[in-house]
Amino acid sequence: MTVQTYTFRIQRNMPGQVGAVQSHWQDYQVEAEPNTTILTLLETIKGGQDGSLTFRQSCRSAICGSCAITISGRTRLACKTHVGAVAKDGLVEIAPQKNQPILKDLAIDIRPFFAKVHAIKPYLQDGPESAGKVTSTAYDQVNHVTQCIMCACCYSECTMTEVNPRYTGPAALAKAFRFVSDPREGRKTERLQELSKQDGMWSCARCTLCVDVCPKEVAPMEAIIKLRTRGMGKGFTDAAGPRHALAFHEDINQTGQLNEFTLMMRTLGIFGALKETGMALHLAKKGKIPSPFPHYVDGVEELRRIYQSLERTPVDVETKAKEAVPE
Amino acid sequence: MTLEFAYYPGCAAKQIQREADQAARAVCQELGITLKNMPRASCCGAVSLRETKPAFAMAVAARILSEAEAMGKDLVTICNTCLQTLTHANYRLSNEPELRDKINAVLTESGVRPYEGSIKVRHLLWVVTDLVDPRILSSRITKPLKGLRIAGFYGCHSLRPEEIFNHTTQQAEGRHLERLIRLMGGVPVEYVGQDRCCGFHVMLSDKHEMHAMVAKNCLSAKDAGAQIMITPCTLCDMIMGSVQQIAEKSVQRTINLPEMNFAQLLGLSMGISKDQLGISRLHVDPTAALASVGLA
Repeated sequence: MTVQTYTFRIQRNMPGQVGAVQSHWQDYQVEAEPNTTILTLLETIKGGQDGSLTFRQSCRSAICGSCAITISGRTRLACKTHVGAVAKDGLVEIAPQKNQPILKDLAIDIRPFFAKVHAIKPYLQDGPESAGKVTSTAYDQVNHVTQCIMCACCYSECTMTEVNPRYTGPAALAKAFRFVSDPREGRKTERLQELSKQDGMWSCARCTLCVDVCPKEVAPMEAIIKLRTRGMGKGFTDAAGPRHALAFHEDINQTGQLNEFTLMMRTLGIFGALKETGMALHLAKKGKIPSPFPHYVDGVEELRRIYQSLERTPVDVETKAKEAVPE
Repeated sequence: MTLEFAYYPGCAAKQIQREADQAARAVCQELGITLKNMPRASCCGAVSLRETKPAFAMAVAARILSEAEAMGKDLVTICNTCLQTLTHANYRLSNEPELRDKINAVLTESGVRPYEGSIKVRHLLWVVTDLVDPRILSSRITKPLKGLRIAGFYGCHSLRPEEIFNHTTQQAEGRHLERLIRLMGGVPVEYVGQDRCCGFHVMLSDKHEMHAMVAKNCLSAKDAGAQIMITPCTLCDMIMGSVQQIAEKSVQRTINLPEMNFAQLLGLSMGISKDQLGISRLHVDPTAALASVGLA
């Protein structure tokens, strides 16, 4: 490995008057091998060049989640990221996490994030649905999400959180799934009802960024999809999100094609759809009117047979977590 | 190599975003790419079907993949969400033999040919930029875009999750839109937001948030100097293009960024007529931007 010179362009943030933060970019030069971590180099800068640079860090082992920052456009753990993997022509741009209030330099106020995690009640509750017996396969869903280290990388990248700060967000929803799928949890249905409300699990836009940025392979969006399946299974279908989802198998069974003409009505209800007349007219201006006459795909009866077969004899296709074995 | 594919345009391209399908067919004809229709193919179900009926979703996708396999062709689509849904199913059916057996048992029982896991799911954008000989492609660009500043908007579902897509779609050698833009004689505009969400999948449940996403992405591209935006996805087209003016009113900002499917702009640069490419169906008029490079 050869030593190279890298430029760290770091966003410096200083708390100003009445909570406003003043930002500017500052460049630092560091010598490093490509497999040196960003965290090591931030320490080098702080120790040797500029003691005023502020960032969080603790374990250095991708287990505490403290050092999540924006590195070359994506939120990553500084301790797990090699400089050579993220430098573009020797330049590394470093900023605090997104979607979070900035305190100073790279340090953010993590409290709003944790308030959302606390809001989903991140603990087992006693109740009527607690299983008396726990089988060997009981944790094949729970274990998908238990490796979450609450670093908030997903929250920082979440496109829905960016435009709706009230949205529960991927980390808290993944945590909620951990309890919904735990056999010992006593209030699963109550949880699903709560999560089905506005700004909850149905607001995920499925951009899949949380899956790709998670340093611990939690795949929060997959947990959100499974929460939605379980929520609808408990009958919590009275909202635009679930009604929209339910339209798909109806149509595929009927004609094989999505009926876009009636989709809005079915998702929003008659009154909701009437409120969207403006949008329909706007689309119609350019001839964008879905056909009211359904087109049947060839062999649509096969789809109905498949559907009926699976209703009679369900097949479990959910991904299972690898068995957690002691190392 | 012969470029023949089982063509899966997706529901949006068959109805509201018909112009993308017209453009895709016109461009392919010029480039010697044969698109074979799939008369049996149903809606892929998107993530919605995975949410309501996970096993049915897997079987529906397997039935579509099986049709392409029976035709002996890889599948090509122009919708990112179809791409992600079918790639996700293909990835699992190819890597989990037990799952494939279970799903194939249901298909067989229902009179459908089982899926052997032998085909690839591709985006037409990848076919044009990775499989068509660049010299042939360049030779067809008869109306080069003369430095038109173009924002490529990828959206989400042709990039992520990385696990199911070949990593080349995401790394530097991916950059399919930028490579195509250069081949067409345009200048790719770098801006924040090109791989973020258009908001399509929450357009009915969280419409104000969708409007905010449209405005954020479009204004970011415009501020970076973009004269026009192209996407590889019919759903992004609908939101970033057709719904853009509604988003403008909602966020009370002027955007006015012409947006079209990549196949439409490629068609224009190949001298295909505007009529054939359905340019008149665009909500944000691209005439001025195109006229600036002599493509009036």
